[in-house]
Order: sequence, then structure tokens, then C-alpha cells
Amino acid sequence: MNFTVRIWRQKGPNERGGLVTYEAHDVNPGMSFLEMLDGVNQRLLGNGEEPVAFEQDCREGICGSCSLVIDGIPHGPDRGITTCQLYMRRFPDGATITIEPWRAKAFPIIKDLVVDRSALDRVMQAGGYISVNTGGAVDGNVLLIGKDQAETAMDAASCIGCGACVAACKNASATLFVAAKVSHLAVLPQGKPERTRRVSAMLEAMDREGFGSCGNQYECEAVCPKSISVRFIANLNREYLRAGIVESGIPSEPESPHAETT
Amino acid sequence: MTRLVSHLQSSVGRKVVMALTGLGLVTYVILHMVGNLQVFEGPHALNSYAAFLRDMPILLWTARIGLLCIVALHIVFAIQLSLQNHRARPIGYAIHRYRQASFASRTMAMSGMVLLLFIVFHLLHLTAGVIGSPNSDRIDAEGYRDVYGKMIHAFQNPLVVALYLVGQLGLGLHLSHAVSSSIQTLGLEHAALDRLFKAAGPAVGLLVVLGNIAIILAVFLGIVHV
Repeated sequence: MNFTVRIWRQKGPNERGGLVTYEAHDVNPGMSFLEMLDGVNQRLLGNGEEPVAFEQDCREGICGSCSLVIDGIPHGPDRGITTCQLYMRRFPDGATITIEPWRAKAFPIIKDLVVDRSALDRVMQAGGYISVNTGGAVDGNVLLIGKDQAETAMDAASCIGCGACVAACKNASATLFVAAKVSHLAVLPQGKPERTRRVSAMLEAMDREGFGSCGNQYECEAVCPKSISVRFIANLNREYLRAGIVESGIPSEPESPHAETT
Repeated sequence: MTRLVSHLQSSVGRKVVMALTGLGLVTYVILHMVGNLQVFEGPHALNSYAAFLRDMPILLWTARIGLLCIVALHIVFAIQLSLQNHRARPIGYAIHRYRQASFASRTMAMSGMVLLLFIVFHLLHLTAGVIGSPNSDRIDAEGYRDVYGKMIHAFQNPLVVALYLVGQLGLGLHLSHAVSSSIQTLGLEHAALDRLFKAAGPAVGLLVVLGNIAIILAVFLGIVHV
């Protein structure tokens, strides 16, 4: 198979970028999208040109490193997968494919297709710790958790933090990411002690990082490689409203133990 | 309390305020439609209903000022959130494809603006009587202000009818995303009620628009006449 790929090239964070067209020849239909890009880079290296920078790590859809907007859709045309799980047989032979980086103010471009997603890490940091007793390991099943709760928490916890939700959102909002992280801990007894403070801190951090707000279009759910449901966003809103009411009765502490270190 | 106030200033908090004010306005729009449907019961029903509303000036003006405040709050927060959202993606995509966002959800700002212009026109036209209808304050046979006659007169003008139909289009489009979206923003979600909540927006939008259009077209086509 042969393809024409239009790739966003940008030398550095403050450089001007643009789409550059390359040819991808002799692509095996069984190759993954990243392997096709490897082929393009091999040819570029052979010609003494700078290869295309893109982020990748596990190449099996669990690390959340790969981050390409393919023909206008984060992680490409298939649902419930990451870019590295997308195969070239999905595209018609001779197709022109446009590849762009995640675009958001909170995700500045480092180089070509690589963006800095540490904004999501700082949102996680703002969430803070959960209280766990030290000492000997607790016996299994001492803490009983209902099957429904465990499944809900697991569904939320399957978020790999790739940022496709931000990339797909018209408003570059990280609401689905924050919703998954907040919901994961809010439904489990281990997350209960800090439940109220966590949701406020994480949403404040999201606003601070320059993400937009949710418009309930649910594009995030459609591109999420882990198909995380937008019902967690409703849960997030509920948690936040609850926190607004519950926290009103608590005198604010002089220094929050969850304060970020910058 | 300060915590709650500060919460309402964050992006989710502002959305909650927009949802609450929006749902308030939806309630008003439904009542407004139901009230006006009395045009089908003849001049007596509508004119005595209008007189009944005007009989309580304190309540009437409280409602009017309240609605105005709600609208103002809704618009101010909409502008603030739109600006924040716009700033969140300074450089757009060369190609961007939507996967499941509804047409209504993509045109909320547009339909909102159409709606606002329409409401201003509607208030100047039928409430204040600045535009059109020279016979606005006629008295009917029973001594009530002739709201019925005013409506019949207004909707015989094809231009007015066209403007009202455009306004209804904006209203229907806005509501079809707004109601379901508000439910989600207020954190109401349950597996069993999911489909009901999703259908609520289009259903409410369709209901209100059909009711209003029925009045406009019934007058225009001469089904309801003096």
C-alpha cells in the first residue's frame, strides 16, 4: 500500500509550524499507524533529513503516550483504540492522511507532533493523596466493596491520561479526564476521606491550566481509547456541587495539604 | 457560604448557573406557550387571561424584572465561558471532524443570538407595541384590553410571520441541546433514566416550537380570525 501523509512539522515550541507532505511507500496492511510513520522516518533519515518527532512508548494501547489527530479525529477513525492500535488496512490504498498534534493552550507543542501534557500531571497532583494506614499489609477482603462500585471505579480508572478528550473537545476541556480521576476515587471507600477536597482542588487546577469548559457535546467519549462514559462528567458535576455545599460548613485551613509545589 | 460562592465562579460553577437560569427560562417559555394557546378558545379566554395577569402589577413586574435578571445572568456567563473556551485553543486544526456532537450543540452561540434578537423584537412588537400594530390598546366588547385582536392583526403580516418562524427555529434548536445539557451539568445521571434525559431536550424543544407555530400559522392561514 502507498499513502500520502501530510504531517505537522514544527522545529520548536516557539517556531512557526506547517503541514509538510511526505510519501509512504510499500506499507504492509498489517502495519500499525506508528510503524508506517517509522517507515517515513527511516526514509527521511536515509535522505539526511530530520525525522518526524512523535510520542510513543508501549505500542499496545495502555501507556497513553501516542497522541495523533488523524484526519481530524484524535487516535484516528476507529473507536476505543489508541493510535498505536490503528492498522494501515483501515485506510484505502493511495489515501492522503493528515496528521496533527493535540491542539490546546494547555498542551504546548514541544516539537512536530509531540506536545507537553504535564498539565494533566499537575491536575493529578492537585488531587493529592488518599489516606492509607501504614504498618503490615491488610488481609485481603477486609474492606468489602460492592461489585457495582468496584466495576464503576474500574471503568473510571481505565483512563490512561492520553489527552484525546482534550484534543477532541471544541473547547479543549479536560473535563472527561478530571471526571474519570475524581469518580474513580469518589466511589471507593479508600477515596472517601479526601473526597470533598479532591474534586474542588482538581477542578480548580483544570481551570488554572487553561483548559476550557464542558459543552456537553460528548466528542470526548467518542474518541476516548478506553471509551470512558460521559456519565462520569455528570458524577463530577454532582461531586463538585456536593463539595460546594459540604465545604461551606468547614472553616478553611490555613494551608491545604494538597497544595501544589511548583 | 463563601465556599459555595467561590464554587459558582469556577467553570463548572458558571455552567451550573447557566443550567439553572436556562431551566428557569425554559419553564417560562412553556408557560408562555400554554397561556397563548388560549387563542384557540376565542377572544374571551385570551383577553380575560391577559387581564388576570395584569391584575397583579406587583407580581407581574417582579416576574418581568426577575426574568430580565435571569436572562442577563445567562448571557453574561455564556459570554465569559465562550471567551474562556476560545482561549483554550489558540491554534485550530487544519481538519476537524465531529463524531457525535449534535448540530444543535454546535450552534448554541448562534441559536442563542438569534433567540436574543428575536426576543428583543418580540418585546418591542407585542409587549411594548413600539413596532407595528397601531391598534395595540383597543378595548374589546367586555372591557378588557384586546390582546386577541392584537395577535390576529400582527400575524396577518407575512414579514412578521417569517420573523417569528425564524425565532422559533432558533428557540427549538437552542432548547434541543440546552435541556439535556442542563440535566447533565446539574449532575443528574442514572443508567435507567439516561434515555429519558437525552430525549428531554429535543422533546421539550419540539413541544414548545409546535405549540407556538400552531398559533402563528393558525392566525396567518385564517383558521383563527376575528
